[in-house]
Amino acid sequence: MLLAAATALGIPVLTALVAGLTERPAKPEAEAKLNRDTPAKAAWITFAIWAVLTVAGLAAVLSVDFYPKVGSDRGTHIAHAFRFLTALAVPVAAMVCAVLAYSFFRRGTGQEPPEAGMAFDGRGPLPKLWFGATAGLTALMIVYPGLWTLDDVVHKHKDPDLVVDVQAMQWTWLIDYPELGIENQTELILPVDRKITFNITSRDVLHSFWVPAFLMKIDAVPGLTTTMSLIAEETGDYSEDSVYRLQCAELCGLSHANMRVPVRVVSQAEFDTWVAEKTAAK
Amino acid sequence: MTAYAYALRQPRFGLAAFGPVLRGLVGAAIGFAIGAGAVMLVRSLAGHAAWEFEQVFVIAYVPALAGWLLGVGLWSRWAKEWFGLETAPSPEGPGRYLAFTTDHKVIGVQYLVTFLILFLAAGLLAMAIRAHLIDPAGADFNEGMYNRVMSMHGIIMVAVAVAAVIGGFGNYFVPLLIGAEDMAFPRLNALSFWLVPPVAVLLLSAQAFGGWDSGWTAYAPLSTTNAHGQIFFNVAIITFGLSSILGGLNFLVTIVFMRAPGMTWLKLPIFVWSMFAAACLALTFTQLFAAAMLMVILDRVAGTVFFNAAAGGQPLLYQHVFWFYSHPAVYIFVLPGFGLTLEILAHFSRKPLFAYKWAVGGLMGIVLISGAVWAHHMFVSGMNSKLLAPFLVTTEIISIPTGLIFLSALGTIWMGRLWLKTPMLFALAVIFNFLIGGVTGIHLADVPTDLSLSDTYFVVAHFHYTIIGAEIFALFGAIYYWFPKITGRMYDEDLGQVHFWLMFVGFNVTFLPMFWAGLEGMNRRVASYTPDLGELNLFISVAAFVLGASFLIFVVNMLKSLVAGEKAPANPWQARTLEWMTSSPPPLENFQAPPVVVGGPYEYGRVAAAPHAAFSPAGAAPAPEAGG
Repeated sequence: MLLAAATALGIPVLTALVAGLTERPAKPEAEAKLNRDTPAKAAWITFAIWAVLTVAGLAAVLSVDFYPKVGSDRGTHIAHAFRFLTALAVPVAAMVCAVLAYSFFRRGTGQEPPEAGMAFDGRGPLPKLWFGATAGLTALMIVYPGLWTLDDVVHKHKDPDLVVDVQAMQWTWLIDYPELGIENQTELILPVDRKITFNITSRDVLHSFWVPAFLMKIDAVPGLTTTMSLIAEETGDYSEDSVYRLQCAELCGLSHANMRVPVRVVSQAEFDTWVAEKTAAK
Repeated sequence: MTAYAYALRQPRFGLAAFGPVLRGLVGAAIGFAIGAGAVMLVRSLAGHAAWEFEQVFVIAYVPALAGWLLGVGLWSRWAKEWFGLETAPSPEGPGRYLAFTTDHKVIGVQYLVTFLILFLAAGLLAMAIRAHLIDPAGADFNEGMYNRVMSMHGIIMVAVAVAAVIGGFGNYFVPLLIGAEDMAFPRLNALSFWLVPPVAVLLLSAQAFGGWDSGWTAYAPLSTTNAHGQIFFNVAIITFGLSSILGGLNFLVTIVFMRAPGMTWLKLPIFVWSMFAAACLALTFTQLFAAAMLMVILDRVAGTVFFNAAAGGQPLLYQHVFWFYSHPAVYIFVLPGFGLTLEILAHFSRKPLFAYKWAVGGLMGIVLISGAVWAHHMFVSGMNSKLLAPFLVTTEIISIPTGLIFLSALGTIWMGRLWLKTPMLFALAVIFNFLIGGVTGIHLADVPTDLSLSDTYFVVAHFHYTIIGAEIFALFGAIYYWFPKITGRMYDEDLGQVHFWLMFVGFNVTFLPMFWAGLEGMNRRVASYTPDLGELNLFISVAAFVLGASFLIFVVNMLKSLVAGEKAPANPWQARTLEWMTSSPPPLENFQAPPVVVGGPYEYGRVAAAPHAAFSPAGAAPAPEAGG
């Protein structure tokens, strides 16, 4: 670690010393080579950069898995929305980058430019087109995936297969299965492919109920019961995959970072066995 | 000889220069003693134990603050005249930088230096955070210490973001850019600045009382139940808010009433417009922040139960009040950054600012919408789910006016002649950085994706991209841009460019991977994390050290150039705006003769364009009135 820090600090400091202390010959006042691209040529070059960046960007966005695990029905919608929004951003970002790259590499000069740039100030139709285009894109984002997906992600199960009561406290989680008579667990065990509703509250300060594998999160608030509904669609186990953990995501004081308990999503048969063991032990 | 050069040559920067500050400290001590004595007396008379730390502290702070202000110069340079007494003359020489002075340029430098020091200090805290996070279990601190360091880094950087550009460059350059002699209320301006040192002292001394571990957001009920240090934080923030409100008022009045003849609204340099927009926000919303802080104080010391659920309080209330200010606050940070960026882009592209009116519309559009988006910080808070859709809609809409800023920036550099000096490199970087900050903001404004991303490193990456990437890059661009004007000397261009490239690369290599860390399941504000994220964090830490080291080069450049830089001409950049039409540094009251604004500020490349301003010698024909 020390070595890493020393290297990281050393390189810039040495560079600065060399740059700052060496005598530099005065730069020859050569005539700046002026780029003579016409606006049309500039537009073509920029368009080409944009096309390359857009194709490469879209290829990346459509092939990369942004989340390490999408383990719930709600998560599927969320991961799709993330991909969609990112894909939507690619051509826009590519355009900004293309204009920047063209201007920096083709129109930039280290010496004072002997002449001004092209004096146009944007009173034509372009700003209106721009405004219309950004408004259109924004409207699209609002409707889809925004409002379109919202209910899919936050709606509450009307008839859940399993209700889990979760209490947050500094700095652990207590999990009850009220229908099964199981209480005060510090491991969250869930059956796969069942409609689950969590009722969440806090005994002291704010906490946040977050299982990264489910992509879902909601705060635990003292004096309030918040709910989350989902179906865990894949089995998983904290001992094999760290995204299967119930992690506090809202700063809650001293041991906030360690406020996590393991999550295990198992088959219905395994879940039934676990329930039987727990109730027999009582 | 300019006043500044004169000041530099003054051999005597002796103990006398610290007189005002010492008098302020004595005043604070006397005020505190009086306040504490009164509280303890009343408590004893009422039959309580005389000593109750937080109650005594909070109440005694008010006379202590008054004593500080009176001692530091409010009395001798202002309040005396309320009683028909003669006020002291304006301080001169280098000592004026440590005094209650009304010259907007001195106040600008006071702000700038203060907040650059705070920036570097909070940057060191960031380095400590990254050193700690090299190890998944945490390398350096215990958990409590980590939480306090992280909280301190957060609030100091937020203060820097609020006040470095506005207080520093706003004060120094708004009067110059509009052709005024000073701010509208120079003494109020001095008061705004001298409210700042108590804030820094309180935040530092909080650490002696257990610090506070609730981040810069200080969510209740954690903040109503933690260590005594929290009360220092709350009192500091209220004080800072007062400074910010007074500053906002001063800028609004200055920009509305102090413009030179001929300086119509559509001839205002865009930085002035951005300051106008930010001042609207600071004046309108800061009270809410103070209100949230005050409610926490009352819960702690006066027995109210605003946020105590067991007694009927409502923890979510805090977040609504807090974010009602704190979301507009991010535009207080970033709008002046946009203004600086567009300003530099136009001058260094040798082109008129593209779509000027649309850019102004963008700035003011953001101001209008910013008050209606706060609850997007609360999508996972458990608030009424009926609020999700409306705040999704308003928040996404804010990308439309923001898009107009991009239109103006890109149109300005398009077919320009880009003079790639250090300030221009920073301004171009702002476009790139804010692009990433803006695009990822869309994922956080969308409720479904935010449910997964909220409170993770994705958010950490996003707001560092908007605040450092846009505002702080613009701040450094402006430091290089205006260094010759403020100091009368040129900075070292080579060192400036080395600083830029290290900072740009270091910044992106540090914060881009944080988006990934967030998606991989790393939540924010953690002293330890799951081991599978270890290598990613090691990489981020090393990159962060490079980013940190780039500021060493900046400091070397500033100190070296301040002492031994080449003498700066009045207008080294051949720029058109008014600050370049006076000496470097400008004299007291700025211009040799009152300017009359004629042409636009950005008329580069136009044949026979009138200059931005002409200077009428005394007795010349009356100038046209400033338009509305």
